[in-house]
Amino acid sequence: MALSKDVYKEFEDVVGAENISDDPAIKDAYRSPDLTVILPGSTEEVAAVIKLCNKHKIPYKAQSTGWMLFAPTYDFIFMDLRRMNRIIEINEKNMYAVVEPYVISAELMAELFKRGMICNVKGSGSTCTALAMSGHGHMGMTTSTGDRNDLATEWVTDEGEIVRLGTLGASDEWFCGDGPGPSLRGVYRGGGVITRQATKVYHWPGPSEYPLEGLSPRYTLSKKPSEMNMMVRYFSFPSIGKLIEAELKIGESEIAFELMGFCPSMVSSNITTSNEEDFETLEQFTREVQGPGFMVIIVGNFDEDFAYKKKVLAQIIKETDGESLKAVEDPDAEATLLFQCTRVCASIRETFRAGGMFSSMMVQGQRYDNHVRWLEEAAVLKRELIEKGLVIADDGQQFGWGEEGGHLGHTEIFCRYNPYDEKSSKAVQEWLAKVGKRALDGCFAVPSMGILPVDVIGKRASNYHIWFGKLKEAFDPNGVGENTGFSYVGADTSGVHTSIYQKPEKASPKK
Amino acid sequence: MAGNESLVKIFGAKNVLDDAETLEEYSGDFSFVSPVRPRCVVKPKNADEVQKLVKWANDKRTPLVPVSSGSPHFRGDTVPGIGGAVVVDLSGMKKIIRVDRAHRVAMVEPGVTFAELIPAVEKEGLRLNMPLLPRKSKTVIGSMLEREPVVMPKYHWDISDPLACVEVVFGTGDMFRTGQAAGPGTIEEQWAAGGAQKTPYGPGPAAWYRLIQGAQGTMGIVTWASLRCEILPKLEEPFLVGSAELDRLLELVHWLVRMRLVNECFVLNDSNLAAIMARKFPGEYQDIKDTLPPWVLFFNLAGYDYFPEDRVSSQIKGVSDITKRIGLEADKAVGGVSAVEMLKMVKRPSPEPYWKLGGKGACHDIFFITTYDKLEGQIGVMNDVANKSGYPALDMGVYLQPIVQGSNCHCEFNLFYDPQDPVELERVKELSAEAVNCLMATGAFFSRPYDRSARMIINRDAAYVDALNRVKTILDPNHVMNPGKLCF
Repeated sequence: MALSKDVYKEFEDVVGAENISDDPAIKDAYRSPDLTVILPGSTEEVAAVIKLCNKHKIPYKAQSTGWMLFAPTYDFIFMDLRRMNRIIEINEKNMYAVVEPYVISAELMAELFKRGMICNVKGSGSTCTALAMSGHGHMGMTTSTGDRNDLATEWVTDEGEIVRLGTLGASDEWFCGDGPGPSLRGVYRGGGVITRQATKVYHWPGPSEYPLEGLSPRYTLSKKPSEMNMMVRYFSFPSIGKLIEAELKIGESEIAFELMGFCPSMVSSNITTSNEEDFETLEQFTREVQGPGFMVIIVGNFDEDFAYKKKVLAQIIKETDGESLKAVEDPDAEATLLFQCTRVCASIRETFRAGGMFSSMMVQGQRYDNHVRWLEEAAVLKRELIEKGLVIADDGQQFGWGEEGGHLGHTEIFCRYNPYDEKSSKAVQEWLAKVGKRALDGCFAVPSMGILPVDVIGKRASNYHIWFGKLKEAFDPNGVGENTGFSYVGADTSGVHTSIYQKPEKASPKK
Repeated sequence: MAGNESLVKIFGAKNVLDDAETLEEYSGDFSFVSPVRPRCVVKPKNADEVQKLVKWANDKRTPLVPVSSGSPHFRGDTVPGIGGAVVVDLSGMKKIIRVDRAHRVAMVEPGVTFAELIPAVEKEGLRLNMPLLPRKSKTVIGSMLEREPVVMPKYHWDISDPLACVEVVFGTGDMFRTGQAAGPGTIEEQWAAGGAQKTPYGPGPAAWYRLIQGAQGTMGIVTWASLRCEILPKLEEPFLVGSAELDRLLELVHWLVRMRLVNECFVLNDSNLAAIMARKFPGEYQDIKDTLPPWVLFFNLAGYDYFPEDRVSSQIKGVSDITKRIGLEADKAVGGVSAVEMLKMVKRPSPEPYWKLGGKGACHDIFFITTYDKLEGQIGVMNDVANKSGYPALDMGVYLQPIVQGSNCHCEFNLFYDPQDPVELERVKELSAEAVNCLMATGAFFSRPYDRSARMIINRDAAYVDALNRVKTILDPNHVMNPGKLCF
């Protein structure tokens, strides 16, 4: 973006010359020719930048760590939040941690482990922001999910107003995010930037740090998981029905630290170090499993607790005809899965490594059993793409996991593919649209954002898009903010394909 | 019916009440807000009628005051804030729409009370995570919408729990469903597809239910809600721990909740525990109280379907390790109170008379959210304010409820008084205002502000109020929903 010199100077005055750039080399690094990059270092700077965006009617996009980079297709200010990377507080007694947006989960978890605690880590992995916000994670059974971990929050609206939710506004403390009165936790995903947030943390009975040994990329633990009152198993079942029965029983009996509905391909991705090794291992697993499966991690608070949980698990698996995958019983493989799946450094291997890209249909919050019929249909359609060689051959299985003791859950199916192959990309997009339409027509779920036009979805879901539009208008009257409400992690794009709304006319940037 | 003919035409004469006695009943409560007589009371029978009423109110620019629970009321939120209001009494909408064991969820209309829902979910092997001994007339939806604390912190993942989804008629008159219930499809179609109305957030980036909760009826009227339920235990083992040292008890609470060892878990002072257990006042109350230490922690261990004995014995081991470390002892009885009897009490609504009214006939509650480390100081402040006002702090009830899995603690002071004694009443009224001010200075967070202090509490943060008003303007642009409450 070619900001006029005067306008550029106004932004520069806020963040300093070293924290703003429109150099072409920098733009290339952000994969967009249309931006000016600004790196604010504080809430006040974020607010000042947004106020300037409003003054000059320049759209902005803020991103912390990101998951994929979704550069908008119009000229804009890109607010890279990487300088806001401080852990503000860890309160052990009241079980919360306060972070800025660029603190990654790996950093926070390392500090929490030392204190016998953990936090929810989103499925995108521990290299992503530790802000609670949205995003579901593998440890959801124990550490809840998405926005349900948010406590007090500092939010800069799309007008640049700083709103402090809950105790932060009342007494500059972090332990509660709701009130006085109605909770604005209901709206801050509508736009703006989260600059600091408290997130719930949970008890961790494991070691203060994992006893890693080996060399990159092949690490394992010097201690067997069982010596730390921990166990990892992968069970396969003769049918989806049996798998669901086992998952629900495990949830209700409160024995699982983590229940992750890995397909065999996701297990093989995680314990291997290259694609070649991955595909070879997958072949072996596919021969060994009897049907769909999941991985369970059991963690004991003390010996008796560990013994009890293992006993219940064994009983449930017996009742549901589950079979343990022998390869995972090997202490080295078990240990690898343990540290990768509790520190959640597994996701990249599962998603990007095989093809370079993945596209996913997911339903967050709802239990696996709610969606299995629909996603089995999606798996059949995916297998057609596999047969045509358009996506990575991984048997096409959907997967899901339990959250909050099985009260909630997450269900997903994805295709891994080569993003530079136009035929593959097109086929995957068509697959997503077909699966999304089936979700609506079958009354199963609101499909993932961006898969179908929002008005098609909204009409079938209480016209929420109209109400959301009103919220957006109320908090972003000049239309400068992110269109989707996911600006904090870049979990969505403002491009044509996934925008909830087309960029309002009044937000056209000045060149 | 003068002036209310149009309402009678829509709802029928028997559902539009404007006799003097009825209007008097709805014009005030135990709170200290000024009584305001409503114009009439309308009793809708279903969601369709609620929607018609809200549209009528917009048309006529007439305030609506929704109320679901029966009397007595305590907080002033159901007393009209301005004259000419129509009270929307939802207590007749009593359908228990669904209890779904597999999904651990129930769906109810706004008039369903705890007393009515508890046996219905128990029949399916489920139980509610409910507030501490609610009064018999308290509705489930009323409690959830007010974000009342619940007695099992382990299952209180989010402050909004156990609320799941709602159907709401916004102040605009538009019907909306939140979370998983929003769509696609009707509720029945969702059931047929294997779904349940359980996931609270969405659709889209917003969490609409959070805007309805804590709003005291200022955003819209809920016509049904779903709520998460828990599994009925197969085996339970309750304990009491008495101590004069609150800090030690709180240390124990922290670890019990942190390690998720316990289900029910809360602390009462001697006055409140005696008030709950006594059936005769003042004799039996005083007798029980005399046997009790200043503070008593109640907690309950539970085993479910698989090897319940093994689970409870493992938990006892875990608890015992912690109590030994802290220097406390868990018992089956403390003073004249048995843990088993206490467990029976907390699983049900309060017996009649309501435990807060049995002693003196009235009670004023001051409650806020805080953290463990501040509690002793805040209780000290409250004691000082009470004693200075002439209200003996030793008579005051205290209830400490860990919430949100131990991230917060609900602290509640119960000021029992004789409503017929004007001196006592005036003392509690003045003490209440002074206490809120002093407690706020110590970091007490009045997340649910009611009564005369509500405006003072909420108006302290102009940016927050501005943001709330933007939401209000969308959902209730004509300000027909309970005007005069909170910052609206």
